[in-house]
Amino acid sequence: MHFYESVLVDTIDGIQCKVYANSHPDGFVIVKPKYVPESLLNFTGLKKRFLFSKCMTRFNLFNAKEIVEENLTRLKNTFPYYFYTCPRHKNWFLVVPTDKIAKTYDTRAGLKELMKVPVTDLDSYLKATRGFIELILQSGVHIDNIGITHSTLLGNYTLGKSDIDVLVFGKDNGWKVLHFLETAQHTSLRWKTEEDWAKYYRERVVSTQYSEKEYVYNMVHKKDDGFFDGNVFSVFCVEEPGETWYDWNEEHEPLGTAKIRGTVGNAYNSIVRPGYYDLQSSEIVEGHNSVPIKRIVTWSRPFVLQAREGELVEACGLLEKVTPKIGTAYYQIVIGYFDTYITERGKKEYLKVVVE
Amino acid sequence: MAHFYESSIITTKDGLQCQVYGNEHPFDSILVKPKYIPTDKVQSDALQYRFISGRKMNRLNMWADKEKLKQYLNTFKIKYPQYVLKSPVHTDNRLFFSIPIDDIERIYYPRKGFSELISMPEGSLDDHLQLVHKFAKFLLQSGLRIKDLGITYSTLMGHYNPAVSDINIVVYGKENFWKLMNYLDTAQHELLRWKTKEEWVSFHKRRNRYNTFSEEDFYFLMNRKKSEGFFDGRLFVIFAAEKEEETWFKWGEEKYTPLGQVTVEGTVTDNFSSIVRPGCYDIINVTTIDGSVPGEITKVAFYSRDYCMMAYPGEKIQTCGVLERVDRKDGSSYYRVVVGYFDAYMDERREKEYIKVLL
Repeated sequence: MHFYESVLVDTIDGIQCKVYANSHPDGFVIVKPKYVPESLLNFTGLKKRFLFSKCMTRFNLFNAKEIVEENLTRLKNTFPYYFYTCPRHKNWFLVVPTDKIAKTYDTRAGLKELMKVPVTDLDSYLKATRGFIELILQSGVHIDNIGITHSTLLGNYTLGKSDIDVLVFGKDNGWKVLHFLETAQHTSLRWKTEEDWAKYYRERVVSTQYSEKEYVYNMVHKKDDGFFDGNVFSVFCVEEPGETWYDWNEEHEPLGTAKIRGTVGNAYNSIVRPGYYDLQSSEIVEGHNSVPIKRIVTWSRPFVLQAREGELVEACGLLEKVTPKIGTAYYQIVIGYFDTYITERGKKEYLKVVVE
Repeated sequence: MAHFYESSIITTKDGLQCQVYGNEHPFDSILVKPKYIPTDKVQSDALQYRFISGRKMNRLNMWADKEKLKQYLNTFKIKYPQYVLKSPVHTDNRLFFSIPIDDIERIYYPRKGFSELISMPEGSLDDHLQLVHKFAKFLLQSGLRIKDLGITYSTLMGHYNPAVSDINIVVYGKENFWKLMNYLDTAQHELLRWKTKEEWVSFHKRRNRYNTFSEEDFYFLMNRKKSEGFFDGRLFVIFAAEKEEETWFKWGEEKYTPLGQVTVEGTVTDNFSSIVRPGCYDIINVTTIDGSVPGEITKVAFYSRDYCMMAYPGEKIQTCGVLERVDRKDGSSYYRVVVGYFDAYMDERREKEYIKVLL
């Protein structure tokens, strides 16, 4: 079974998780826990919500390193099987073993159901969701290739606050939608302004490695986040089973933190998580002796769609030597592995377009 | 045969959301009223649509256009035969919905939900839940304990709309419920207000109430109920659920034979169980206005919450409903009038049945 990124799964323990990748190691699904019943586990420094008739803790890795470390330890002590140490990566991932999945939410079926409900029977949030879907259908992408997820799908949204979370299935479709949105005109459509992005930067620990101004410059051209009828929307592109690029059989040898510069050759796979930017040329600026870097991989959504073909980028992340089962070894920089939330490397990692 | 608290919510494996309907249930299934029903097998434009849990649902409303409702329920019975109870203690035409235990996906317990909610820091709650939290604290001043209260419907399920959703509270135990009603009779709170005459009159115009009561009589009767009001402008409704040891009948220990429709009058001797569903009034000195009654009627039972706490001991009531002979396991029998079986909503009884106090 293919587990799409951004789909929600409930575990048999009652934890709700968000799928965090489009390809997964055998027997596991890469996830981020999203809501954990307080009755199961007591975390520190996290917000609580009353959801599904329970007091749930909103699990969040965007927090001080010490808090994240403590919470991961508590999670691991009670549920060790949510951690997978991958021998090929020599690193760990948050996962749900496939035999611990109780329920998977069907984002495509949910959208189709929503579109069947007469508009007059929808509240303002669902009206906006429907309006946004109708807009992106004008891109030419078929309704079969669109889904809704998170609170939009489950119905536990908060009017006036919750995002509209839309999935687009297939990378070609994802690009088609984003290109369409670049020029789309609609009275309800508004893009995040520089101030909106600056606010986002201030509220989340995106990276301390570049300034608010640099961050705003890098983000403002993205068209996967905006406002529709006053509601924030996010478009998540997910890979179909036949087009996943990540190979869990490759051997990863971590070589330490490195800073590089390079020119993006191909950004086609930068639309998904994990995503990557192929580099035409590269140089290691700091942290390791000179080796050619084939690509920059990101597991972190803020670095998705960050750079376009031909742009000069600078990145800091984990330098890895990757040895495929077939073919020659190559080097890559990886940003946003789970361990970055509890290591010093997390504070150093970034990817930005160099503005000369 | 089995006790299960009224107003709990059950989701079925095939996506129905149901409210538990009554406190006494058959051994292997739970009596419910389907509240939200997926539209893939049966649907009706006469019912409101909602997008809930990722599905297009119809909200079952027993007061929808009668012909369309009848058509809808007939199709429902064909598409979901497993949810239509063949009651061994009623005749075939009596309609009950019930969920076999094996078809249950999840049960939402109002009491558990309440205790979780009340333990949460107010700062982590949205506006709707903060209000529910505040209202709950106010109710707890009555002397009831946290374990005596529950929250239900959209607040419990989490698909409320802060602009329009009611606050639905469950009180466990009939003594507790009456205690709370007595408290609310005189309680003061800056956010508490009772329905005005205009609001009750507007309410009166819906369903079949306008057939039964004059506006003045309806207002008099409703105004003394303290189970509905507004808290910070939001409608609240308080329900009672019977504890296992205090249910007024046990499912399966009585058999019911319908004897036609009657209209009778009698004097209420006991309304203690008039706060629950099904609820009842014990009556004496019964006279028959219409229909044929072969024996002494001692009880009026009802399935509609409209008739909760309507009459008090000593008051004379008039009722129109189904006359039933009730045969107990011990061989004794009595007669009662029943108002508001589900099947009543599918024929002319929907408009004809009532209980009213003769003022």
